[in-house]
Amino acid sequence: MKTDELIGSLANDVMPVRRLLLPPFRMVIWLGLSLPWIALVIWYMGVRPDLMSRFGDGTWRIEQSLALLTALTAAFAALCVSVPGRPMWERILPLFPLGLWVGTIVQGCIQSIAAGGPWTSLIRMDWSCTPHIALLGIGPAVVMIALVRKGAPVAPYVTIGYAALAATALAAFGLRFFHAEDASLMILVWQLGSVALLTAACTLFAERLFPWRAVAPR
Amino acid sequence: MEAEKEGRDLEALMASAQKGDSAAYARLLKAVVPELRRYARAKWIGTIDPEDLVQDVLLSLHSVRHTYDPSRPFMPWLGAIFRRRLVDLQRRHIRKDRNEVVTDTLPETFSEDETNWLEEGAGDPELLRRAIASLPAGQRKAIELLKLQELSLKEAAEKTGMSVSALKVAVHRGMNSLKQTLRA
Repeated sequence: MKTDELIGSLANDVMPVRRLLLPPFRMVIWLGLSLPWIALVIWYMGVRPDLMSRFGDGTWRIEQSLALLTALTAAFAALCVSVPGRPMWERILPLFPLGLWVGTIVQGCIQSIAAGGPWTSLIRMDWSCTPHIALLGIGPAVVMIALVRKGAPVAPYVTIGYAALAATALAAFGLRFFHAEDASLMILVWQLGSVALLTAACTLFAERLFPWRAVAPR
Repeated sequence: MEAEKEGRDLEALMASAQKGDSAAYARLLKAVVPELRRYARAKWIGTIDPEDLVQDVLLSLHSVRHTYDPSRPFMPWLGAIFRRRLVDLQRRHIRKDRNEVVTDTLPETFSEDETNWLEEGAGDPELLRRAIASLPAGQRKAIELLKLQELSLKEAAEKTGMSVSALKVAVHRGMNSLKQTLRA
């Protein structure tokens, strides 16, 4: 088919389309659907008994704020990257809260190692983190992937990577409402490790999760 | 100044196209094709016609036209689609090249003499061309894409919008019709 014929065919085929909502509005939809899921899982698992005292702990509050900020900025970035031609700063925005979040936890690890002797005594097996984060993150991930798939896969790996980071960071935020584990090294290895693992696993399937939709000229 | 006005025109045309204005859409696509051709010729590395890339970008633009925000410039939006499709097509092209072996002479098919009919020549190309042209549109398209252009089923499905199973059926029926026509 010649290009002129293709243009004629596409022009004849053109129908009114509903414009994609702006990323902040889509982010509100994502939060509106994801937060009830997180709340439901927390309710089902049972709130940790020392939650009220955790609210008084500055480090816990900072870590939770940074986890939430990472989730929000990653969600915003994923929704922006799925729209062609948007500014580059939106792509790097989540790296700042993510860096601060990891940095805060690493700093906590260094302090506990300095105070508590060999790091091996500060860490133990806790295989429950990954399935818990996966359970908490599945709802936000499904909603986020449905939302980004309405966009264009101009950067599928970045989009799905940030979509998965948003879901898993929100899950890590929710996890600490019922999972009574606050040792920095444990959080670094098991919680952030699970976030990294699940994000990487989703990113591997980026092109399958977010393919180009085929259009056939008539 | 002129470029700025042209940019505003493209944005207005795209906004109209989103509302279903087919004349505005045709004008927009015709206006961007020369630019796409220029980019395609400059960026494309490989043996296929850069026009394929231009057409691929037009189809992609069509499928994601709802993502355009008229308050933002049009060309960066189109440029992002172009870059992605360029990467996708180059990657597909490289993958295909890796799996193909170029030979000067076609290898024998079987050891039996009667099956190696290639020495008899490729037959009458004009007769074959007429036989293909006489096929129904769907079968003809399937034969052209899968047998002549040697696209994969997935690629042909993307290009035509037909499902893989519909393409299989169409090519099977097309081949049967061709055999009957050529035997007659």
